[in-house]
Amino acid sequence: MRIGIVGAGFMGTTHAEAWAQTPAQIVGVAAETIEEALPLAEKYSVQAFPDFSSLLEAVDVVDLCTPTHLHVPMILEAAAKGKHIICEKPLALSLESAQQAVQACQEAGVTLFVAHVVRYFPEYALAKRLVDEGQIGKVATLRLLRGSYRPKKPIGNWFLDENKSGGILLDLMIHDIDYARWVAGEVESVFARKVSLIHQDSPVDYGLIILKHTSGAISHISGAWAYPPPTFRTQFEINGDSGMIEFDSQLSSPIQSLIMRPNQEAPDVGIPSSPVRESPYTTEIKEFYAALVGEKVSRVTAQDGVEAVRIAAAAVQSAKSGEVVTLLQ
Amino acid sequence: MTIKIGIMSFAHLHAEAYIQNLRNAAGVTLIGIADDDEARGKHFGQLFEAPVFRNYEELLEAKPDGVIICSENSRHLPLVKLAAQAGANILCEKPLATTVNDAEEIVRICEQAGVLLMTAFPMRFSTPLLEVKSRLDQGELGKVLCFQSSNQGELPKKHRAWFVDKELAGGGAIMDHTVHLVDIMRWYLGSEVREVYAVANRIFHADEVEVETGGMVWVTFENEVFATIDCSWSRPPYWPAWGGLSFEMVTDRGAVLVDGFRQNLTVFTHHLQRPYWAFWGSDPNQAMIDEFVQAVREQRPPRVTGMDGLRAVEVVEAAYQSVALGKPVQIRH
Repeated sequence: MRIGIVGAGFMGTTHAEAWAQTPAQIVGVAAETIEEALPLAEKYSVQAFPDFSSLLEAVDVVDLCTPTHLHVPMILEAAAKGKHIICEKPLALSLESAQQAVQACQEAGVTLFVAHVVRYFPEYALAKRLVDEGQIGKVATLRLLRGSYRPKKPIGNWFLDENKSGGILLDLMIHDIDYARWVAGEVESVFARKVSLIHQDSPVDYGLIILKHTSGAISHISGAWAYPPPTFRTQFEINGDSGMIEFDSQLSSPIQSLIMRPNQEAPDVGIPSSPVRESPYTTEIKEFYAALVGEKVSRVTAQDGVEAVRIAAAAVQSAKSGEVVTLLQ
Repeated sequence: MTIKIGIMSFAHLHAEAYIQNLRNAAGVTLIGIADDDEARGKHFGQLFEAPVFRNYEELLEAKPDGVIICSENSRHLPLVKLAAQAGANILCEKPLATTVNDAEEIVRICEQAGVLLMTAFPMRFSTPLLEVKSRLDQGELGKVLCFQSSNQGELPKKHRAWFVDKELAGGGAIMDHTVHLVDIMRWYLGSEVREVYAVANRIFHADEVEVETGGMVWVTFENEVFATIDCSWSRPPYWPAWGGLSFEMVTDRGAVLVDGFRQNLTVFTHHLQRPYWAFWGSDPNQAMIDEFVQAVREQRPPRVTGMDGLRAVEVVEAAYQSVALGKPVQIRH
């Protein structure tokens, strides 16, 4: 299986490391310019392609680690060429384009996976398993928090361009939207606000979302691009009618370093990390590989990617209108 | 001059803390207690070795300078009437009332009678919360943009059955656990709530109670700060404490995480077979009782007033309206 990595930033690099641990072969890297693709291509001794279209000709699977606004056009092009696709989250900036992407893949008979990696983080996967085992009974409330600093980028910070990333609700909080839906089921209504819609020039952004699930459960989701670098904090609390589960990345960190590091550099994008044998990104890519070769079913489907976008787009709409957005399935 | 205080009703369990706070307060004479539930009055009178009056009228005839009202939520109004008529200054347990109408009447009656009215919001006296307020006022923390907060607790039914009775308590988790955080945010921001959105369910303890046990209340202030309050009775009975109160305050300089009950020892005992938290921080109830006594002594408005209690009740009433309507509700002051 020949893999092409598209996008050579943090996520492209991370996915390449993961693919290197599967039987699949990375055969090429493409980025916005060939210069950007070169370092990653050299690392794996593969070709740096001048553009996406030329890379497509040489691969069986493309792994899209590009800015969000490029996902759907690239999916459409790859599907038309009969290539399987791994797409970073969020699948798309709007529900309509997400649906269009899935439909194109179905019609072309290619597989599309959306990389909702939180489902592969061991703490989140374990909590989901415990809930499914019935250890805490029926889920009544979920509290999910994901907080870091504003993403920075050496060039062209697309994260901060709402038209490219969808902003904090779509880019960051979609992780927990997907997780809430995975744990508590379909969502019937959404209410949301975010700081940057009220204070356009604010140096920090913060979003809050309340979801009502059809099961009766309520989810509370907090997303922060507000903390000092290199902070990345995740927290969750799943409260059931016969028990509860809580997690705090700060409190469960097995190592607290008090070593002085003057002028500490933070990565462009805050990332969660706890020392585990296998990176959750690798677990994810391995599962996608196993699913592509028909050995396993992936825990996250293209439709999950669509549903996450449906809810996140409703959150954006709610934050803009100030109204509750009801989802009609 | 010693200040004479009486306690009217032990329906609310906080009376058990307040009576000990009164004993520890300087220059206070506890004249006694009265309760419309004769057995309850007798029980707590004996437990705390306090005189028990036969009824509220008799307690008020003893001319207390102040009374603490700890009746069921919906029965605050009649006791406030009695006490105000007798010229006693009042510290009333939260929520001030179960409806805006009752809360407004409570405030009006006390104004007309010329007695002080304080709402029992002990978190205003929590040392961690005071520290944050002071840093905020000094401009150390920047400008507040939003909050996400939580006042989750266990099902309070084991303490008093009426806590889960719609008539007596006025509702469930929303009635019980919204007012503290609303009051804290009003205090921090100096702004009033203009809009409320709330969702609620009854999944925790569904077979035990009729009122809502899970809830999230979303408030937006006149200065555009928005905030969520998780008021759920979501803590299991084997949680290390009754529950807690915490919040994240987001500012244009970052965020501050505040936990009103983090100053704990974690204690493991053979007896309990599970850990529990033993609080070693400063007792906010004591500071609140001290403030009430001091306000009565100096005949000045207390740091937390009846109006603060009324404002919080407005949010609670709007939250229930929002749950029923499924959309945000505006508050007009």
